[in-house]
Amino acid sequence: MDKKKIAKVLSFRYKIMAAILVVLAGGLVLLPKYQKQEGIKSEALLNHAISPERYISTDQISDKLISRDPSFILVDVRDEASYNDYTLPNAINIPLAKLFDDNSAPYLNQDQFDVVFFSNDNFHADQAWILCYRLGYKNLRVLKGGLNQWFNTIINPKIPSEDMPAEDFELYSTRKAASMFFGVAYQDQNVEKDMAISKPAPKKIITVAKKKKRPVEGGC
Amino acid sequence: MGPLIPNDIIPIEWDSIIAILIGIVFGFVLEASGFSSSRKLAGVFYGYDFAVLKVFFTAAAVSVIGIYYMDYLGYLNISQLYVHPTYLWGAIIGGVIMGVGFVAGGFCPGTSLCAVAIGKLDAWIYVGGIMVGVFLFSELYTIFQPIYEGYYLGNITLMDSFGWNPYWVIFIFAIIAIVAFVVADIVRKKVKKVFYE
Repeated sequence: MDKKKIAKVLSFRYKIMAAILVVLAGGLVLLPKYQKQEGIKSEALLNHAISPERYISTDQISDKLISRDPSFILVDVRDEASYNDYTLPNAINIPLAKLFDDNSAPYLNQDQFDVVFFSNDNFHADQAWILCYRLGYKNLRVLKGGLNQWFNTIINPKIPSEDMPAEDFELYSTRKAASMFFGVAYQDQNVEKDMAISKPAPKKIITVAKKKKRPVEGGC
Repeated sequence: MGPLIPNDIIPIEWDSIIAILIGIVFGFVLEASGFSSSRKLAGVFYGYDFAVLKVFFTAAAVSVIGIYYMDYLGYLNISQLYVHPTYLWGAIIGGVIMGVGFVAGGFCPGTSLCAVAIGKLDAWIYVGGIMVGVFLFSELYTIFQPIYEGYYLGNITLMDSFGWNPYWVIFIFAIIAIVAFVVADIVRKKVKKVFYE
């Protein structure tokens, strides 16, 4: 290519540049638009969702409740009737439908306390966890197994059979003590009580003072 | 991914260093393309030189197209970019003062500092005027304060306030830029040429 041809092309350089500018700007208009993903990335969400760290066990919760640990909020995500029926001590009720109410935001969107979600199983609690996590709320936990697990482990712990290791017996006695704390009465508990008051109290004669009749004091 | 500093890809401490480096390059390019001459700058208003209009219009068009392509491809999140807050009347009055100063003195603040660096006397006087203006403004701040801080509209853009589609705005902006360049060339050919160094 000789110089003349180059010069000929270069004389159009501003027109070429203008054309490139228009093509690029037009490309922006014509490009197919897609919904951008906002908030956290899906990989990060998945990583956290399958991580066992977001769960808290019933033993941990009962330990925290007994030691009056002030660092967490228990959130019952079941409906109000179930909440009134039975719930964990000091739990607050935020049903799933009311998760995004203005009243519930101060409990959930803070970074002072751990928020522990629970429901009957951990199904609804997991849903609450996902929703709140995607909103960027911090320190969210789910009670593993929910209230069913709570009943099976803390309230009604299974007595280990004799061929089980010593740890299971220790765990059982811990759970049993915890259940006593939460108001469960045991048979052996009563036996001890009976033994303590084996001696029948001697009969005491209580004299009942007779009421004296009051003299009539005038009248209307 | 981007913007780099808000996403901690570059630490925030590099902020000022990067600003200084960009400032040096910007000043160098301004001077190298002759923008430290007040005659060249004033040429836009008299119609014999439209370099300023072309440069800044091109810069705006290229960067906005580039930013939106990067946003589209996921390299940059436009919603994280800083949008300068709008103080409506402060901006209007300040813009008028700046425009008058631009025509009268032949510099904008950036190019005046460039011209100071290469030792132009008119630029020294211009920058002195800026300093006097800054001093007066600071001394009389209590009088200006209601305008300076009032009519606050937040960090808004044209897309927010009019609900426009940004892609069409960019396309129309590019067309306007090219039309402006063509018109500027026609005007420049009709106006008597002025020669300056």
